[in-house]
Amino acid sequence: MDNLRENEYDRDVVISTCIHLTRNLNGIPFPARMSRGDRLTVVQRAKEAVEENKALAHILRYIDMEGLSKTEAVSLVERHLVSADFISDCSGRGVFITDDESLSIMVNEEDHIHIQAYLWGLNLENAYQKADILDDLFNRSLHFAFHKDLGYLTQNPILLGTGMRASLILHLPALHESGGITRLSSNLSKLGLSLSGVYGAGEAPKGAVYQLSNQVTFGLSEQEAIANLKSIAMQLVHQERGLWEELVEQPELQDAVSRSLALLQSAKMMGYEEFLQLASNVRFGISTGLIEGVNSDQLNRLMIAMQPATLTLRSGRKLTQNERRILRADQIREMLKK
Amino acid sequence: MLCESCGKNPVVTHVKRIINGKLTEYLLCAECAQRLGYGNLLTELGGNYGSLLGEFFGEFERTDLVRCECCGASFNDIVRSGKVGCAECYRTFYDRLIPLIQRVHGNTKHRGKMPGGSMIKTPPQEQLSLMRRELREAIRTENFEQAANLRDRIKELEGGERRG
Ligand SMILES: [Zn+2]
Ligand SMILES: [Zn+2]
Repeated sequence: MDNLRENEYDRDVVISTCIHLTRNLNGIPFPARMSRGDRLTVVQRAKEAVEENKALAHILRYIDMEGLSKTEAVSLVERHLVSADFISDCSGRGVFITDDESLSIMVNEEDHIHIQAYLWGLNLENAYQKADILDDLFNRSLHFAFHKDLGYLTQNPILLGTGMRASLILHLPALHESGGITRLSSNLSKLGLSLSGVYGAGEAPKGAVYQLSNQVTFGLSEQEAIANLKSIAMQLVHQERGLWEELVEQPELQDAVSRSLALLQSAKMMGYEEFLQLASNVRFGISTGLIEGVNSDQLNRLMIAMQPATLTLRSGRKLTQNERRILRADQIREMLKK
Repeated sequence: MLCESCGKNPVVTHVKRIINGKLTEYLLCAECAQRLGYGNLLTELGGNYGSLLGEFFGEFERTDLVRCECCGASFNDIVRSGKVGCAECYRTFYDRLIPLIQRVHGNTKHRGKMPGGSMIKTPPQEQLSLMRRELREAIRTENFEQAANLRDRIKELEGGERRG
């Protein structure tokens, strides 16, 4: 993925940025009412759109979801290329991806075409620009459904207007520990934003990793929605960092941070959820200057690569749970070795 | 079905996630979806299209003769599923959908991008580089008409950029 960054300062809280654009074709039922023939038609037209446009053909590779093993499909979700919903039913679905995995286009998800641009760090404008270009290039052949007052026509009227969701993945260890997320989350929903756990949908998501997204797509432009999201994100960053000053002085916390790094650097077996928790402590240590010699890019790479399906897939063989834990611990030690 | 989180209220959203390598589904009520950050503009209003529309029309319309010519959906189908059948449905059922859309989004109009619209505005560097790549390809494949076209547009965009 791209390494462009807007601002080093925000990077310790904002892990990554993703822009989603949902689009549909005229004259073909939306996914909930599509026949298999309709699905294949949309796939075919999307493929033609790519072939007709050399700029697209050059960067995009098509993956037929029906041809994938379960591990391959799950790994696509783990790498942020498709949604979990997308792999719950793979029939008549496919995805285009770029080699650097920063761009993907799901065909026949909730809507006919779902464009995603994923970048590290706080990178809203760049990610939007990438998604926007893909949108224009596909639109040349597909002529997306649009109404002058309603905007882009979507299966779910909630996404009418821009059809754009922008989201930021945030690391909020202090707010997480303080138990303030639920209150924040319900306040944010009143502002038309949502804040939810990334690893686990329950009360205590793992690793203090959260996703902040806009909910409002209608009556405001993409740029305004992005500016709103960014300004709220900056407030969250500020709140989170405000709590750090005190925390960083606590011996218990310093101890937890050091132990976490030591565990990652020496364990012989490691579960993914345990890794997430330890990585969260280490990330906090990096952000606050308690830890040097390890950086958050390494953690970002591990957070993707250490997930069960992706780890298995890249090993090129079938792994038992224990084998996976051993391999994971090996790779983490290798990445973070002193 | 009752919410998995509070065990009290009826389920309105299914949240799918990959947890530890497994596809996991959480069934949540409007309140819990909201609290856990899986809410949307609809759960904010406390439920689903069916109950929202119920407020407008008292009950489902009994006469349901109009069907979308493209996808065959009736207005009741849309209300029941919370999903519009196709792009044409928005035209077929426009008058009946508008109150619902306004209830969810407020009385407003689309203000964002128009299809192909951003091509006209200031050209991002990336778009230029994509077009240059297209141009090289067009020359290589001896598609000279397209190449000439692209060259003109690139020139136009570059000019615009320098001035801006
Ligand atoms: Zn509940
Ligand atoms: Zn229809």
